[in-house]
Amino acid sequence: MAKPVVIVVGADKGGVGKTTVSRTLLDYFSANNVPTRAFDTESPRGTLKRFHPEFTEIVDMTTTSDQMKIFDTLNSAGPSVTVIDVRAGLLSPALASLRDIGFLDAAKSGQITFAVFHILGPSIASLDEIAETANFMHGAKYFLVKNFINDTQFFQWDQATYNSYFHRIKDATELTIPKLNEMAYEQVEVASVPFLKFVANKGPGEEAANYSFVLRGYVRHWLASVWSEFDRIKLTDLVGSGKSSTRGEK
Amino acid sequence: MRATPVYIICSLRPLVGKTLIARLLSEFLLLKNGTVAAFDINLKEPSLLEYLPDITEAAEIDDTFGKMALMDRLIINDGIAKVIDLGFHAFDEFFKMTEEIGFLKEAARRGVSPIVLFIGDTDRVSARGYPLLQRQIPSSSLVTVDNEHVVRGELPPAFAQGKVLHIAALPVFLKTYVDRLTFSFTEYLRNERDSSTELHQWIRKNYFSFREIELNLILQGS
Repeated sequence: MAKPVVIVVGADKGGVGKTTVSRTLLDYFSANNVPTRAFDTESPRGTLKRFHPEFTEIVDMTTTSDQMKIFDTLNSAGPSVTVIDVRAGLLSPALASLRDIGFLDAAKSGQITFAVFHILGPSIASLDEIAETANFMHGAKYFLVKNFINDTQFFQWDQATYNSYFHRIKDATELTIPKLNEMAYEQVEVASVPFLKFVANKGPGEEAANYSFVLRGYVRHWLASVWSEFDRIKLTDLVGSGKSSTRGEK
Repeated sequence: MRATPVYIICSLRPLVGKTLIARLLSEFLLLKNGTVAAFDINLKEPSLLEYLPDITEAAEIDDTFGKMALMDRLIINDGIAKVIDLGFHAFDEFFKMTEEIGFLKEAARRGVSPIVLFIGDTDRVSARGYPLLQRQIPSSSLVTVDNEHVVRGELPPAFAQGKVLHIAALPVFLKTYVDRLTFSFTEYLRNERDSSTELHQWIRKNYFSFREIELNLILQGS
């Protein structure tokens, strides 16, 4: 049986694009035929579930029963990849919980592949988040995501300061999510479909839709850029599917 | 179903005859097909909209709304040929957008045939723009317009490699005549009984060149 893979997407700050990154990950795995399940911790109503309802479950990560729902089922016969979209402010407590239940030790010993996509905001507070998160990262793949989708400017960071935080985490990898045209982003929101379905001009139930060709083009171009970042970090290798992904045009 | 042509008439320079060629081509297509849809993204220069208001719409690509309004029309294979008079100021933005949204690929998928008519000039700006088009547009869909009124003498060799459409220069008095807002090339052909006049021959030669481009398009599609 394939080794379970858990990918946590989170930040301690709200509005930095955690769910957007989670959605691109789910689309990426879907395009690469990697069976995936997702948990949306924005309880009681989840944004991720709105876009990927078929394999997303809303959970409250602060409760033991929901922690069991996620982690006690990792070795079951279901999908080997679990994506957890951790809601704002919950990343550090979630990692602390994972440490407490011995999950981080299991990752360290190689029983589980564990990756964290830490979405950074533009403020210096995000750098403090890195320092805080670093304490939990032994045995995990750590990705720092600079998300420009909502026109975030990172210029206020002093590069030397950033580097001093960045290098605290061994093997940390930096990713950049480019900006998506605002209207295209808004239309996908309104359509409530995965990016991939929007590009394919399909509605939530696979029915033919009538999205703007221009907006679909912008989303396709943007998604290809995001996925090339995932290709660069060899995400499919990380989750054990080992496929080279060349589906930018899919 | 036959592919729907989308003619994009462009240059990186103002006043090189884009609107003249857009007028000629629109009138030719109107004569041949009975219908044509023209779009004017050229409002900072002499405007196609002023010459052919019945078949021309103003279009803008400054914002996403404008891009959607234009491109969502252009991508439809409805059998109505489209002509775009693309102003020099919109050149970069237009082709950046078409590249980003994958216009050429989607057009091929939907049976739409974009044909770019690039008006060559001897300046450095044109020399910069042409390779940009060559990277994006297949050579079968890229035509350099050698407007004799603009390029006095030989076209730069870089432009002359692919298809070239030669437009002969008109004498100044005829140029002034055809530049009148009320002038129609097709009406002139219909009403001028003397087919040996210079203008008559000039229009017929250009219509013939456009017919050649259309024929090539049919051959490519078959």
